Amino acid sequence: MFDRILQSTLMEKDPKFEDIMCSLLSVGKMPRGLIKEAEEGMALGRRFNEAVVRPYSLELDRKMQEDPTYLPWDLVEEINRWGFYTGWIPKLFGGKGWSFSAMSPFIEEVASECLGIANLLGVQYFGLSFLFVSWNTRLIDMICREVIEGERTGKPCLISGAITEPDAGTDVEEVELLSKARVKCYAEKVKGGYVVNGNKIFISNGHLSTWHMLIAYDDLERPEESMIMLAVKNGIKGFSFGRMEKKMGQKGCPASELVFEDCFIPDEYVCISRDDVKDVRRGIKEANMQLIDFVVSMTRPGVGAMGTGVARGAYREALEFAQETEVEGKLLINHEWAQCMLAEMYKNVALARLSYMECGYVNALHGMTKMMNVKPVYYYNKYLPTSVFDKFMPASNKRESTTKLFRKLIMDGQTEEEACRASGWASLSKFAATDFGIRNCHLAIELMGQAGIRHDHRVEKFLRDSKLLQIYEGTNQLNRLNLFKCLIGPSIPEAEVFND
Amino acid sequence: MKTTVSDELKMLEEMAGDFAAKELLEDREENDKYPFGPLFEGVLTKAHDVGFFSIMLPEEMGGAADAVNAVCLVLDEVCRADASLGGIIFTNARAQEMVARAGEVEVLKKIAANAAGYAGLLIAFPSFNNPGEIENVAMVERSKDKYILSGDIEYVVLGGIADSALLPAKVKGEEGYSLFLVNLKGDGLDIGEPVLSLGLHSCPAVDMSLSDVEGKLVGQEGKGGDYFEAAVDRLSVAAAAMAAGVIKGSFVEALDYTKERVQGGREIVNWSEVRMLLSSMAVKGKVADILVDRASRSVDCGEPGWQLDSRAAALHVQEMAADATTDGIQLLGGNGYMKDYGQEKRFRDAKQIQALMGLTPMRKLKYIKRIVDGELPW
Repeated sequence: MFDRILQSTLMEKDPKFEDIMCSLLSVGKMPRGLIKEAEEGMALGRRFNEAVVRPYSLELDRKMQEDPTYLPWDLVEEINRWGFYTGWIPKLFGGKGWSFSAMSPFIEEVASECLGIANLLGVQYFGLSFLFVSWNTRLIDMICREVIEGERTGKPCLISGAITEPDAGTDVEEVELLSKARVKCYAEKVKGGYVVNGNKIFISNGHLSTWHMLIAYDDLERPEESMIMLAVKNGIKGFSFGRMEKKMGQKGCPASELVFEDCFIPDEYVCISRDDVKDVRRGIKEANMQLIDFVVSMTRPGVGAMGTGVARGAYREALEFAQETEVEGKLLINHEWAQCMLAEMYKNVALARLSYMECGYVNALHGMTKMMNVKPVYYYNKYLPTSVFDKFMPASNKRESTTKLFRKLIMDGQTEEEACRASGWASLSKFAATDFGIRNCHLAIELMGQAGIRHDHRVEKFLRDSKLLQIYEGTNQLNRLNLFKCLIGPSIPEAEVFND
Repeated sequence: MKTTVSDELKMLEEMAGDFAAKELLEDREENDKYPFGPLFEGVLTKAHDVGFFSIMLPEEMGGAADAVNAVCLVLDEVCRADASLGGIIFTNARAQEMVARAGEVEVLKKIAANAAGYAGLLIAFPSFNNPGEIENVAMVERSKDKYILSGDIEYVVLGGIADSALLPAKVKGEEGYSLFLVNLKGDGLDIGEPVLSLGLHSCPAVDMSLSDVEGKLVGQEGKGGDYFEAAVDRLSVAAAAMAAGVIKGSFVEALDYTKERVQGGREIVNWSEVRMLLSSMAVKGKVADILVDRASRSVDCGEPGWQLDSRAAALHVQEMAADATTDGIQLLGGNGYMKDYGQEKRFRDAKQIQALMGLTPMRKLKYIKRIVDGELPW
């Protein structure tokens, strides 16, 4: 087009092409099979909604308002029967190996009917993502196979991720804050393992889970350098469930307190500790940030998909209401102002979706799903049956060398720029899509008036449910700061974040 | 609060503040469980005893002279603690006001004279609907000098509590609707269970079916819409007062919390982004305060354009409350989302308060129509 040198000079300026054109950059690299899988994911979500979610979501919400201690085991068993707790476990670890590209569209579908139920199944992969980023292949293999066995036997095996503490919420999402945090979950090194004391709160699916990926610290004075991830199974001495929170919404998914009192966890259940992090390229603190970023770069777009879903649900119910309700003798759908409100809602859904889809491309280029989306790996995983993987993977997964290889590949293989791009976009999608979600709930209630505030018309529940999206996975304020840190700050030498 | 408030009203305001502190704060979470817990009947009895349900009545029946300003002061104080009671006060005042606008003060006197407890005094009304927009009315037939009502009416607020209701009904084929007082203890009524709703849980509404129920016509036939809009003129500012109270309650709880909560090694009140949220809430509370005070006095003094003062205050403060209360939760993080704190209830209540008196966009269109048709904008 014009001089190459001039072009590269121009393209050195912000914004960088690689920062803002990830979807375009991944077009050629993407296996075509992903398109079909994304469509299948949507269809599967719709089938599940028709059969399970739509008929039951209001009843469940009502039941939980009546009895906040009710645990929806019936629903968990139903989800287990549908195979959703193992679907996205890679075949390397015995799962069905569904594509992660199909997950967000699937979550959006379920969330468009019920955020509580979307969380009830989505949190499984929040818990698993902790386990996965440790790349402790022995434990990943062992725990994933328990989940698969739980599906086979009809006894659901759920995984929770336990990180938030009573005095540390925002703090645990960011190592700069963690260094000043009042964390209290202490893992004391003793012979043969760790003794854990402390409480975790707001743990989604806590009471329903069999395994808990626990983040603790072996030096409370320096938590940013002493993070440790432990796999805790129900029934171990010193571990118990505390209270179940009385939430405003997302009632189908319990938020639990986990209590540790002199709870001994043997060394074999350490997913990753500071000793393991020593082997990687980065310093300990930076490596811990990378671990957190790996998790949230996957899960925050998932929350974005939930925000998109609830935005769509609110839009759908408002549209239906407008189609069947006369206002001043004319169908609401034919009032110009209502058409503009509905167009605004449609736009909010579309932009929310674009944001999480872009994150999918960023992760495929630079993040956790990079390896899975390399064409040969993708097609092996897609077309080889799990039984073939089962012949050789379990033995390989048990070897420490496999763990070390994965850590080397994934942790050291990612540059700082790539980590920032993935984390920054994840934050962008998280707060953009969830803000859009709540906005649409507000608009739907305003459009529907008296019908909008009634439980039986659904959108009031959507509003209650959606508010939690702005809080968990880092408040939307923390996510704005993280966007600044990852996408704006790096090219500004004077910029300091978390140092106001 | 305001220096412009008379001594008499100051006493009323203080009394309402004391009442909120003593009777509403402690049991807020418990009372909000309705319909899955008991109704706060003790609170209703006390509210009745102190006259919260008769503020809009004539002075000789225990009402206040500058009635709208007075009801606004009470609603502001009450809604800081628990807006459900505010919803009851408001709905009842709306119904009483419509009866008064219809020229039937004698009817109100009779109701007040015969009322033994709060149930006798309270008048139920579908206070979230404007029957002129979305038709939510019964059908009425004249038989000799009687009016016989049949049909379904949705979301009659206080319908499960009050002894009587003010219900809209229309003669088949005719244009406007009329208002009728109906005895809810009589025959021919099928009153549903409390409708589970977003907010104001203890200000419950019910769906009801009427079959051949006698109603007493209030005012003139076909004039229901006029009485409705006249009451909206006067009492929109009272809905604004409810929303103002909710903003103030939410701000105070947020400020207290952020002074205590530590993240990143410092109280979060010292994070500048937290201060931005707090500031935005504080400004909304201040603007609401000024607006409600000014508009309610305008209504009581009958200043030129008072109707638009009242309606503008409602539209603006109701919207601000929906915005402020979401920040009110946000400032408490996960705790703000839990029932142990008051913020999640205020968020729900604020959105429900915004739905009072009919569709918000239609109220906006009605507002601008009056200006387009010639009323002065300020």
